[in-house]
Amino acid sequence: MTAPLTETGALGATGELVAAPMIGIAFGWCLERAGLGYAPKLAGQFYLSDLTVFKVMFSAILTAMLGAFWLDRMGLLTLSLVSMPETLVLPQALGGVLFGVGFLVAGLCPGTSCVAAASGRLDGAGVIGGMLGGVALFHAIFPWVQRFYESTALGSVTFAEMLNVSRGMGIVLVTVVALGGFAVAGRIERARL
Amino acid sequence: MNRRNATLAATAATLAGAAALADFRSPRHGTQVDVTQLAAEIEAGDDHISAIDLAERIMKGDGNIRVLDLRSEAEFGEFHIPGARLTSIAALAREQLPRDETIALYSEGGGHAAQAWVLLRLRGYRKVLVLREGIYEWMSRVLEPRLAKDATAAERREFERAALLSRYFGGVPRSGVDRSELHTGYWTDVAQARPDARSTRRRGC
Amino acid sequence: MIRPAKPYSDPYLAGIGLGLVLLAAYVWVGRGLGASGAFSSVVAAATSGSASPLGDWLVLELVGVAVGGYLSARLAGRTRAAIERGPRVSGYGRMMAAAGGGVLMGLGAKFARGCTSGQALSGGALLSAGSWIFIAACFATGYLLAPLARRLWR
Repeated sequence: MTAPLTETGALGATGELVAAPMIGIAFGWCLERAGLGYAPKLAGQFYLSDLTVFKVMFSAILTAMLGAFWLDRMGLLTLSLVSMPETLVLPQALGGVLFGVGFLVAGLCPGTSCVAAASGRLDGAGVIGGMLGGVALFHAIFPWVQRFYESTALGSVTFAEMLNVSRGMGIVLVTVVALGGFAVAGRIERARL
Repeated sequence: MNRRNATLAATAATLAGAAALADFRSPRHGTQVDVTQLAAEIEAGDDHISAIDLAERIMKGDGNIRVLDLRSEAEFGEFHIPGARLTSIAALAREQLPRDETIALYSEGGGHAAQAWVLLRLRGYRKVLVLREGIYEWMSRVLEPRLAKDATAAERREFERAALLSRYFGGVPRSGVDRSELHTGYWTDVAQARPDARSTRRRGC
Repeated sequence: MIRPAKPYSDPYLAGIGLGLVLLAAYVWVGRGLGASGAFSSVVAAATSGSASPLGDWLVLELVGVAVGGYLSARLAGRTRAAIERGPRVSGYGRMMAAAGGGVLMGLGAKFARGCTSGQALSGGALLSAGSWIFIAACFATGYLLAPLARRLWR
């Protein structure tokens, strides 16, 4: 096993913390390069006028997904040691819905709001403020939502496992969705011209 | 679609298709586990957690540790480590557990827990620990720690640490005890000051 | 609205770049990117003074995101004090929407244990079931309710 470096000991606790802003800088750079610090562009996806978000997001997913799988296969990365989020069906579905409304109305998400704010956009700062408020609100209502929040927990499971197909098959499914989506996006954009 | 995009798409499709083919024969999920590595971990004792360290983590409210009991329902009902959940070897063969949590296993004397350890490690879970002498270790070291009349300074320090935990868990520490009455186990030969080497690292988003 | 100074990068290339950054994160620190967790950490620190190592990592990362975003914008001549908004909404209205949307995203990200960076991107690339549930719910909702938000953007 050669990676993750923090698991092999090649990267210690300090190194791990130093990696954080480095990764962040690259992340923020890529987001801004694509124009994702500009709220009207992000909101445009919902009106099918600008599909940049879909293209960026899914090409990122494809790259990281295929990269991780093959690095693991080549023995360069131990995928089982890479932390994967847990699945909690209902809370995450609700979270997605709430987030979707918020994203539509705000035109920015947590990461891109920081890019926007750093570029001088006041609306980015507004979103950041709102999000801090939203998190605080969640804590305030936590006792009432705790049961729901912790319900339908399935552990760190992939959708491939749930559908009882291999990981490789899951990868094919995501790839089909992504490439199909890119084709559709291209068609939509050509239709607009 | 321009040349470049076509090339990228073809590359992605090929890599994905190859991934499906590579996984064609594997019915299970989880990565290849190196049996030699497992053996090394067992020999080094990296698969263990002491009852004291476990007690400390529970007392500190470590949300990252999941304690699993491998005994029978009756035994569990009679007494179990606070916060533990009852499970079985069969269940652990298929159950999905969070991969970034530490799983602490215990059984009556440690046998079943050790088997469960191997099972979970083979499934790819990395942070799995066993309470080496099972519930017996908990009851003797945590609930009823004993200090000999003629204790050394090191033994005294260890006892103090255990006594604190013991009181927290409703146990009864006893000092001034005859050496012959001390609980014995693997720990009586091992230097006590070794803290749990595993650090918990949460990796959410 | 003023058009940006320099054209944006090709979205596919930017996406591949982003994917490589994500892959680097998997390889270096065994985790994906994140954003909403940093907000949680800030609120937790402010309200109860509690700190978590994970939260610190995300805060540091998010500070990096701001720096990276600034650098890119600066070099491209895209830094500007402004309130970006649709043609039919006022600055005030836009700010209200930004804050209100932010509140909803803050709530949603807590329930979902992440946001578009942590769940959609990072979890999605790892095939996490919950991440894909989040992606589906988030974008389906956005597309379905878009007509109701027309005044903000069109």
